[in-house]
Amino acid sequence: MNRAHANWVIYTTLLVALALHMLPLPFDWRMFRPPWVELTLFYWVLALPHRVGIISSALTGLAVDVIDGSPVGALSLGLVSSTLIVLLNYQRIRQFDVLQQILAVLMLVALARTTERWAHNLVGLPPTGAEYLLPLFSVPILWPLLRPVLRGIRRQWEVT
Amino acid sequence: MVLLCLASLLWFRNDSRIDSARSVAADATAWMYRMATAPRDAWEELTDFFTARAQLREDNERLRQENLVLSGQAQQLAAVVAENARYRALLNSAEDINESVLVAQVIAITPDPARHLLVLDKGQRDGVAVGQPLLGAEGLMGQVVLAGQTSSRALLITDASHALPIQVNRNGVRGIVEGTGELDKMVVRHIAATTDIVVGDLLVSSGLGGRFPPGYPVAEVTEVNLKPGDAFATVTAKPMAALDRGRHVLIATDSPADAENP
Repeated sequence: MNRAHANWVIYTTLLVALALHMLPLPFDWRMFRPPWVELTLFYWVLALPHRVGIISSALTGLAVDVIDGSPVGALSLGLVSSTLIVLLNYQRIRQFDVLQQILAVLMLVALARTTERWAHNLVGLPPTGAEYLLPLFSVPILWPLLRPVLRGIRRQWEVT
Repeated sequence: MVLLCLASLLWFRNDSRIDSARSVAADATAWMYRMATAPRDAWEELTDFFTARAQLREDNERLRQENLVLSGQAQQLAAVVAENARYRALLNSAEDINESVLVAQVIAITPDPARHLLVLDKGQRDGVAVGQPLLGAEGLMGQVVLAGQTSSRALLITDASHALPIQVNRNGVRGIVEGTGELDKMVVRHIAATTDIVVGDLLVSSGLGGRFPPGYPVAEVTEVNLKPGDAFATVTAKPMAALDRGRHVLIATDSPADAENP
């Protein structure tokens, strides 16, 4: 019961992140769309590495790819590589103070996005400039806000 | 897992065996887009509802006049179409496809800023098929790239992976105009330096390749940049259609669907 309960909370937060990802933005701002899904996923991997790992991140990436209409598997690849790094270092990252954590998350999101872009180029989409990294600007603002919220949710429903 | 991702990227990308899965995914995501955009739509409906009476009267008056003008022009058009058909019969050439169009609503723009994809609310059930051209009020907008049962995805002509054959309306010079990933900029590549093409020229679809119907306005030339010594001029154009506004588009459903991918 408790386990099923816990999973339900994780799925819901990821779905909310997906909805935020799909939210209509003014056209000129769409370069800056915050990486909601990545941040939420990385939070769960950091908090519950035994529960949310490679397979969850691959499936999440798949969902985003299908929604975006981009080559399926590209973001999966990026998220899997980032998640791998989190899984190897989660104990260290948990001890970081806010600034260090922001830096770490910035790197992780950048790695995921860059890998995604690389995969896009691999299947023949035309290369773009460095604009794809513009969403990173929102990470230093969002991570310190999102982390306490998600932690509150985790403790409220006793997700383990 | 990494290998699985790569496999899905490379092997399944153009595999026709998962077409049905694709169309199901298109419908599912269209449904999700509807959910995600519901607050905005509700807000728009609310503001629509409270549009002032005076505004409505004004709109009504304006539209009535527009309608009058347009139906006048349409009468002329009928005569011209008949005349054209007779000429074509004289020339023994094939008749133009008489297109039937379908009005579709734009549900959302996909979030990836590097791509210009629209999610539309009409699908195979309404007669939409992959490859059909997307038209706006001012010109050609793009083409359908994925058709689900009740929804579809369309690629805009400004997407960096899109190219279409055009000709200059003034003198018939042919070329290929490519998207750049920017909404107000397209480029015509490989135009020989001596070609007669000037700023302000209207580029219309040429119909070569069989995917787009001929004669639809595509873009207007905004810049012709010729460096002495270059074999080709760099021609920049601005799409005619308002690609970032409006909630409704037309899909030409009678076009030869799914020719070779351009």
